[in-house]
Amino acid sequence: MKLILWAGAIVGAIALVVLLVMVGGLLPPQTIKLVEGYMPMQLLAELAFFVGVFALISYLLKQNGLGIPRFWQGLSFWIFILLYLTYRIYPPIPFSVRALFGTVAMVGVFMWVSGAEEDWKEFKKPILNVLDAVTPFHKALRTFYLIAIPIILWGFSYNSFLPNLDEPIELRTVHPAPPASTKVHGKTFVLQTSSNPYRVSPEGKYDQEYTNTLITEQSMGRLLKPDANPWDPKAEGYLKFVREGGEIFFQNCHFCHGDNLNGRGLHAFAFNPIPANFTDPGTLAQLQETFVFWRVAKGGIGLPREAFPWASVMPPWEQHLTTDEIWKVVLFEYWHTGYYPRTWD
Amino acid sequence: MGGLTRNKTLSIMALGAMIGLLLLPIVVSMPALAGGGGTPAAGGPPPDVAKKADTPEAAKVEKGRDVYYKTEGIVSGAPAPKTADNPQFYPRYNFESRVLLWFANQQHLYYGSFVLAVPIFCMIIEFMGIISKDKAMAKKYDQLAYDFIKISLTAYSLTAILGGILIFTFLTLYPAFFGYLSSIFRPVMHIYALLFVAESGTIYIYYYGWDRMKEGLLKWIHVSMSVVLNVIGTTLMFLANSWIGFMMSPAGVDEQGRYLGNIWHSIHTALWNPLNVHRLLGNMAFGGGVVAAYAAYRFLASKTDEERAHYDWMGYIAMAIGVAFLIPLPFAGYWLMREVYAYRQQMGITLMGGLLAWLFIIQATMIGILFLSANYYLWQAMGRMRGAEKYQRYIKYMVFVLVCGFLIFITPHTMVMTPTELKAMGGQQHPVLGNYGVMSAKNGGINVIITTTVLSFIWYARGNKVPMVSWARFGNIFMGCFFGMAYINIIWLAIYGYYIPANVRVGLSVPQVATTLSCLFFMTALNLVMLKGAKHSGAIEWGKISVRSQYALIMLATAFTWMMGLMGYIRSSVRLFWHVNEIMRDNSPWAYTHTTGFAANMISFNVLFFWLTILFVFFLATLGVKKAPVEAKVTVPGRVPEPATH
Repeated sequence: MKLILWAGAIVGAIALVVLLVMVGGLLPPQTIKLVEGYMPMQLLAELAFFVGVFALISYLLKQNGLGIPRFWQGLSFWIFILLYLTYRIYPPIPFSVRALFGTVAMVGVFMWVSGAEEDWKEFKKPILNVLDAVTPFHKALRTFYLIAIPIILWGFSYNSFLPNLDEPIELRTVHPAPPASTKVHGKTFVLQTSSNPYRVSPEGKYDQEYTNTLITEQSMGRLLKPDANPWDPKAEGYLKFVREGGEIFFQNCHFCHGDNLNGRGLHAFAFNPIPANFTDPGTLAQLQETFVFWRVAKGGIGLPREAFPWASVMPPWEQHLTTDEIWKVVLFEYWHTGYYPRTWD
Repeated sequence: MGGLTRNKTLSIMALGAMIGLLLLPIVVSMPALAGGGGTPAAGGPPPDVAKKADTPEAAKVEKGRDVYYKTEGIVSGAPAPKTADNPQFYPRYNFESRVLLWFANQQHLYYGSFVLAVPIFCMIIEFMGIISKDKAMAKKYDQLAYDFIKISLTAYSLTAILGGILIFTFLTLYPAFFGYLSSIFRPVMHIYALLFVAESGTIYIYYYGWDRMKEGLLKWIHVSMSVVLNVIGTTLMFLANSWIGFMMSPAGVDEQGRYLGNIWHSIHTALWNPLNVHRLLGNMAFGGGVVAAYAAYRFLASKTDEERAHYDWMGYIAMAIGVAFLIPLPFAGYWLMREVYAYRQQMGITLMGGLLAWLFIIQATMIGILFLSANYYLWQAMGRMRGAEKYQRYIKYMVFVLVCGFLIFITPHTMVMTPTELKAMGGQQHPVLGNYGVMSAKNGGINVIITTTVLSFIWYARGNKVPMVSWARFGNIFMGCFFGMAYINIIWLAIYGYYIPANVRVGLSVPQVATTLSCLFFMTALNLVMLKGAKHSGAIEWGKISVRSQYALIMLATAFTWMMGLMGYIRSSVRLFWHVNEIMRDNSPWAYTHTTGFAANMISFNVLFFWLTILFVFFLATLGVKKAPVEAKVTVPGRVPEPATH
């Protein structure tokens, strides 16, 4: 058992060193990659692994009379989390989210070190030692803090008064509430009840379940389902409409939204923000098909008042496409990403 | 035994008679309700209609179509006023009228919630005292219920005063809107007033009759009165909810807002029932939080061990009741949101994905704080039990699970970032964290948090006990497997939610919630059975708890208050520029949505004001204390008050 524990601790320590080396830049940052498609769970699993490693190392050191004081355990674990958030996750997380995560992690560390009375006493000990100046070293440290803390606070204050040349942060409403109905080419569409006229079964009736079975696979490869190739010359009905939608997409939309529909088109980075990434589970998958129809038809200029700051340069496609063409493009986008349009039932 | 049965029968009869008498006004007014209560038009029917009544055309009645129920009804009210931005419709001071109304409304709601929740606690605790076989414990429960109602009595007067202020604010600043609303709800408002009188009478008899009705049959009648009190209080709240339900999802009127004669339609709108359930649970959780904060305040100010022991115990009971109602609250909120989406898609999107989405991130943060505080309090509370150390060593792992659930729950889908960060990230959605920003992950997060809270409660309940049943080992393994499977099921469903259509994904919340509730009910029940005849490793040393635990209770109460203010604001502002959604437009200069920062400051101000005034109420409650709060011993060996969830 002891051997297993030591083996676990050594493996964990190696992983920790590899991570720190990646953080330090001695190894490329993505030496151990976050696997696309599994990244959210991999992140949680990695953190759980490191919690286990820390607990194991701490336990073994304590067993051998080399226990790390609770104060340093708490502090070092919190620093580890901050480093992990800053350097491990790619692309980099915005400061606002790092601050949020860092604060919650700090609260978590506090809950851990003060959960039991003995732990709390142990945690407070080094702090109280400094405050009480129990040794000359602690006294020197206390004097240092007395001088350093006001200087640090002064530094923060000074920084906050410096002119900031960055563009201001805007809280953008990505999915503004749609109107109850929208008028396109003289026809009114009620968003709650309308449906895509091309989402049809072989009998020509609206059938979401049938069409859902023909979309690409939802795994990262986005492979065609068997016998569901829209580019097959014999494809009819729904698949034929998908192909027609695809043709319209590649003639008009892919310059910005990208040929993989991930918002990384040829012109994408000329815009701020860049175009919507349809492969993200938070865009098309969250929306009713009629919502997408409305957004495509009306474009950025047709966004409602509450969609401030209206940060979208998408043209109102009703000026360039027919209603049928817009529906077909929407059909294609859902087919290609492998997501199902939202329905309310 | 026979006497007890006779007493119970008599008390049930007394209870029935009292309920019957108190509900008499409603029964009497029922024919009027069914008939629509006459003509509830603002200021009577329009003059042209009144003139027509004498003419032969009077026989020809105008019919309208209900905007929600789609039924036809006889038009029996004036259209909703079309207001304009002038002092006739919106009289004003040199200040934003909406903010004044917001303040008056919020304070009334805080106190209203508190005085509706506390009698429910009293009812539960007084009943626990009656059925308790241990006389010392029975006395403690009785004293506790009395302490609770004493606090709520002063708050009750303040609620009535604030209600008056609220109505004056409506009448003076929004006369056109209030006139229209009261024209629709005229009969309801009268019943509301009558019920308020009945509530006042009952609460005073209940409070002042406490000592006289402390024995035998009279005690049963006394506890029955608390039932009546709560029936009236809950009905009052339901009636008030019908007004806000009507404002959000109007029914019983046609497109012009003309009343169609069926008051039940106007009351029973699309969102009425979800609002009722959500508010009832919310009030209970809030009331528990406030009483727990009161106990914490008294604990911290205590000078003797007896006082500390009493207020420690009081805080624990209040917290347990509050958390018991907090646990189902997210599910009730989920149902409310589902109904909002079903009623109007754009309203749902405005709330969850659009204009008000940022406020939901703040709400998620507050919910997380509530659960973290409750767990932290329970871990601290283990410190007053000998033998609980064996569970304390797992705190770090529970913290990890809670923090992971919390982080997923609060991760915004669209992040706040500078344009430079946006470019570095390559889009609005982060490829890793963006996945935590959608409902599927968040459902997983909150269910993990709640399940962990249930586990904390179970560990707390067995802190100083060792199960002695012959199948204890099997029971522990079963319990461990059950929780393990619950976590796996919740997380698996959260992941699976990404691979299925949205309407199916919404349905996944049902098995997730069922898993969490199974842990709550089955495991708590199993734990109780396992602990029958358990060996005690020591008594609970009431009062010997860290001060940090008391700050956790204060944190819990403050978070409740803040969240209640926030959710009230969200619910109200989702109507955007409508007084009554799609029926009566708000044409005042304040028909815009405040910035998130302004709203947060306003909520904080309301919270601060409430806490300052409630501290005064607490202070008044201490003035009446003439004797030591407890006569029973500080520690009661072998007796552990169980949380209300048990």
